[in-house]
Amino acid sequence: MHIIVCIKQIIDPEVPFHLFRIDPVAKRQIQGTHPLVISTYDEVAVEVALQLKEKVGGRVTALTLGKKEALQALHQTLAMGADDAILLSDLNFEEMDSFGKARVLAAAVRKIGEFDLILCGRQAGDVELGLVGPFLAGELGIPCVPLVANFEVANGTIRMRRPVETGYEILEAPFPLLATITNDTSNVPRYASVKGLRAAMRVPIPCWSSADLGLSADALGPKPLRIEIDELFIPHREMRCELIEGESGAEKARNLAARLKALGLIG
Amino acid sequence: MVHILTFCTASQPEIPRHPLELLAAARALSAQLGEGTVHTLCVGPASGAYGEELIHRGADRVLTVECPSVEAEIALAVVESAVRHLAPKVVLFPHDDLSGAYVGPCLAYRLETGIATDCGGFAVQGEDIRWLRPVYGGKAMAYMRIRGPVQLATMRSRAFDPLPADPTRRGEIQSFPADWESVRPQIRVVERLEEKEEGELPLDRAEIIVSGGRGIGSAEGFAVLRELARVLGAAIGGSRPAADLGWVPHSHLVGQTGKIVAPNLYIAVGISGAAQHIAGAGSSKTIVAINKDSDAPIFKLAHIGVVEEWEKVIPALIEACREWRS
Repeated sequence: MHIIVCIKQIIDPEVPFHLFRIDPVAKRQIQGTHPLVISTYDEVAVEVALQLKEKVGGRVTALTLGKKEALQALHQTLAMGADDAILLSDLNFEEMDSFGKARVLAAAVRKIGEFDLILCGRQAGDVELGLVGPFLAGELGIPCVPLVANFEVANGTIRMRRPVETGYEILEAPFPLLATITNDTSNVPRYASVKGLRAAMRVPIPCWSSADLGLSADALGPKPLRIEIDELFIPHREMRCELIEGESGAEKARNLAARLKALGLIG
Repeated sequence: MVHILTFCTASQPEIPRHPLELLAAARALSAQLGEGTVHTLCVGPASGAYGEELIHRGADRVLTVECPSVEAEIALAVVESAVRHLAPKVVLFPHDDLSGAYVGPCLAYRLETGIATDCGGFAVQGEDIRWLRPVYGGKAMAYMRIRGPVQLATMRSRAFDPLPADPTRRGEIQSFPADWESVRPQIRVVERLEEKEEGELPLDRAEIIVSGGRGIGSAEGFAVLRELARVLGAAIGGSRPAADLGWVPHSHLVGQTGKIVAPNLYIAVGISGAAQHIAGAGSSKTIVAINKDSDAPIFKLAHIGVVEEWEKVIPALIEACREWRS
């Protein structure tokens, strides 16, 4: 089984509100001193790929579209246990919408050759559109199975497990397919060991440009983009928290209950 | 000319709230665009039964497709055929697992048109629509511009309140001739595993959510929160540490990597207020924080706060609420 995982490197999404800064002209977050990490659901997708490889054997290839810094995300993926990694990087790739990104990833998948499964996080942890996965499935003409948490193997059949409101659905679909990955208790990402990271640093990672993929700038989609951020801003929050007082915890509780009742929120 | 089409699935006998919110959004959008009609495509076994209510809540015409179940690929095929046939300017979907993660994005790909997902609103200038949506886990907001033959948007739940039912509104209800029978779905659900605790209310339908974090300390502690939830008729939620520790099921995780909720009342107990959690609960109408640490970031977000150990507050709160009930 050859599994391709598409990952995106983003600025650590755990940056707290008061340290979060944006560049309103470039319409993106300012990195400052915050670390770059693998986007949350993409890291989960790597874990899911590695678990499936452990069950059925095969190979995991990590693919990312980004600048040279993104090599760090690929090294981490290799240290977690991926077999190969490829960076897709080109100046032409910097101003694209989800259509363009899917087209580049599809060209890379075709250049890689055969594959059985593509995994993408359900949405990136920055702009959170959740489009590249379904668009990539469209480019490749393969089924897109959304919001899968894991794969199980029963009687030689690989099935997908999807968390739903009432529990789980077990799904089947013909391979090759693309699944977008969501999180549950079964797929908390493993840590990359320091030793693993050191070993991963020695693995050469190919870097493919638009020329390597045979993509002209026109092939990356029309300008102006079909999906773009027109304005980015930090909403103004003027919050004043009304503190409930009392001599004891029990009295605070009674005062809280009375306040909530007066506001018509309970009772 | 059809200006706005809203999408509604009809798989349960009672009409849910989300498609009614979409109609409120569609009416507001059509009023700002200064023209146009609002049609609703209603797909599923109960679609006929929903028709009248959808008209009373703002639809000018309801197109029903009475297929026996609303599988993703069938829904996609039906919406695609309706959009090609009706050529609306805008299609509004609920941002749920079906439309936000599958039907909306796949339709955008097929129609080679722009889409904005998880929108909370819009701004209109002339004919120009900009879609407002949270980014970076709700730490920033973006106005998106989307281009193409039709604008698609998936709308986050509770961003709009349904319009009051107006029984005097008139509109057409007709069957839409979509060929869903020839769709051969490739994705098949072969088994459904129920993993739900008896009587637990789903997060997205709750008016009140009682949510706990690492500060609760144990599964036994969560049993106390569940008792409060029962007394209030609330759903139970948890932060990521609480879900990862198994105190609440992952389906009740509130946060950037879980459910985004916006109930009337959100009671955060023993939750410090990490960015990841605030992304999921920050749009709640009223937030109450109960935490022993007065410096916890949750108090910057909360409307009402109680600085106290939760063990000293929650049992008395349950008691006070019980007294009113009896």
